Amino acid sequence: MSPEGTEEMTDSFLSIKNIRKTYGSVIAVEDVTLDIAKGEFLTFLGPSGSGKSTTLFAIAGFEAPTSGEVILDGQALLDIPSHKRNIGMVFQRYTLFPHLTVGENVAFPLRVRRKSASEIKSKVAEMLELVQLQDMADRLPSQMSGGQQQRVALARALAYDPPVLLMDEPLSALDKKLREEIQTQIRRIHKETGVTILYVTHDQEEALRLSDRIALFNQGRIEQVGTGHDLYFNPATRFVAGFIGNSNFLEVEAQGARDGRAKAVFPDGTQMDGVPLHTDGAGNEGSVLMVRPEAIRLETAASQGAGLPIRIFDTTFLGDAIQVDGRTSWGQTVTVRAPLSAGGAQGAGPGDTVNLQWNAEESHLFSNG
Amino acid sequence: MTTATANPAADRSRMKGAALALPALLLLLGFFVAPVLSLLVQSVTEPSFGLQNYRELIATPTYATVFFNTFLVATLVTFFALVLGFPVAWALAVLPPRWAGVIFAVVLLSMWTNLLARTYAWMVLLQTTGVVNKSLMALGIIDTPLALINNLTGVTIGMVYIMLPFIILPMQATLRTIDPATLQAAALCGASRWQAFWRVLLPLALPGIASGGLIVFVMSLGYFVTPALLGGTSNMMLAELIAQLVQSLLRWGMGGAAAFVLLVITLALYAVQVRYLGAGRTAVGG
Repeated sequence: MSPEGTEEMTDSFLSIKNIRKTYGSVIAVEDVTLDIAKGEFLTFLGPSGSGKSTTLFAIAGFEAPTSGEVILDGQALLDIPSHKRNIGMVFQRYTLFPHLTVGENVAFPLRVRRKSASEIKSKVAEMLELVQLQDMADRLPSQMSGGQQQRVALARALAYDPPVLLMDEPLSALDKKLREEIQTQIRRIHKETGVTILYVTHDQEEALRLSDRIALFNQGRIEQVGTGHDLYFNPATRFVAGFIGNSNFLEVEAQGARDGRAKAVFPDGTQMDGVPLHTDGAGNEGSVLMVRPEAIRLETAASQGAGLPIRIFDTTFLGDAIQVDGRTSWGQTVTVRAPLSAGGAQGAGPGDTVNLQWNAEESHLFSNG
Repeated sequence: MTTATANPAADRSRMKGAALALPALLLLLGFFVAPVLSLLVQSVTEPSFGLQNYRELIATPTYATVFFNTFLVATLVTFFALVLGFPVAWALAVLPPRWAGVIFAVVLLSMWTNLLARTYAWMVLLQTTGVVNKSLMALGIIDTPLALINNLTGVTIGMVYIMLPFIILPMQATLRTIDPATLQAAALCGASRWQAFWRVLLPLALPGIASGGLIVFVMSLGYFVTPALLGGTSNMMLAELIAQLVQSLLRWGMGGAAAFVLLVITLALYAVQVRYLGAGRTAVGG
């Protein structure tokens, strides 16, 4: 999960090129281009209606894009019907065939491919062992829990060794504990099989836990592609910064932009040099500063002079950290999450004024879009 | 359910609820069960006590032909109604509500239109100088008119049309319960449309097909109006035979025997359905 790993993943196994999908005047996917390496685990993350599922369904063949191309291992995919794409998929809803046993479900893709009985038997056993359900081959789907059904669906989708496995929010119907358990299994299965996985979720924690890389979708476009680390520490847009993790957005004026950095000037006159500046497509200069609650240090005005002064109105004990909520002199609220071990103005309480400090590197200037 | 029977208060309130069914049950008892029993008694007592009516029914080739005709037509009608009705039922299940509503209205409207009016309309369409024959001849597909009426062909055509709603409604109830994503999954698993139909859709639709098919088959066995109007005198069906025996020939014993045989066959078919699909599934078609 190191940020350095991303640049090497340029050899493209699956290429999504300028996919666009409109329904009448409604734009579901505006323009999505993405390259996925062989064996990669890539997650489409984004709010509902951001186009992530539509893009996945275009790869599956359930939606015909208005324009664009999908190339899998050198072959154009969009003109091939779903059943000839040889792609695996696990759906959001339970899609096991209810009239077939677990074993017959896993055998289904092999039967329609007219594999020999002995081959089917050994492959079904292998797949059920992979998802650790080898004792349940004779059960009907209705006799299994949701989590078990999705594991069988996973076994069925992998039984024919597809080059790509699509997963469309497969765990969204499960409770949190079960979800984490199956996430661990999915990671193990990805490692064991080496299959390329495209995973759709709206749950950032799930995306961070599972993926090699995350493509963050918003309004039919990809805002940023990168490792979880990239997206968290180097968000490309204000949307990314706001979607992943918690953030403070403070009103500033960016001055003297140079080499991708600028001086941030707060309304109360406080200044901070060398803040990374992200210009948007329209070329607007940054006018909002983003900083993570845990990147901020609290200093009393006496100990360290410089910093952005706030007046504390609430503190919350969180066990390993303390959350401090304060207000700037111009009325914006700021949240700070300070580890208990840190020094500084730990003892400050409501009504006190403290100075906020952070490394310029850990904050970002965005246009106020 | 076991706890409910242990509770006397619940038992009493259930008895009260059941009492409300009494008027309808009495009506059935007086005007259905009693006449059927009297017909059964007549079948073994008229003209004299014994099984001679049943013996005659089995031994007479004319009657055997009538039974054969009846089963042939009922089988053909059920088959064609299933084949034609399945796509309509599927469309009702998967189309957006607005379009499904329109189709639904058409299906119901045809069911609610007067049966005689619809059957006479078929006579106009199917006769030698009717629209169907004239169109086919104008198109050069045939040279001489086809015999589409006064025979079993006419009966089958007319009855398939009459029976369509009875097969579409239970089938669409079953098909509605099938998640379209299940078929998408089948497609990605590599199943062609044909394979997905045979291996997934059809097995899942089976309860609806069975209940719709049974309803239509049983209704067809005892159908009177359409065979009487579109059929010929030479190839009668069972209901026509019973009517003739009772009304024209005044042979109540023979009519009773034929009616009783029909009833036994119907009950046997129902028993098979209950045995393999369960009574509840028959009722709701799911």
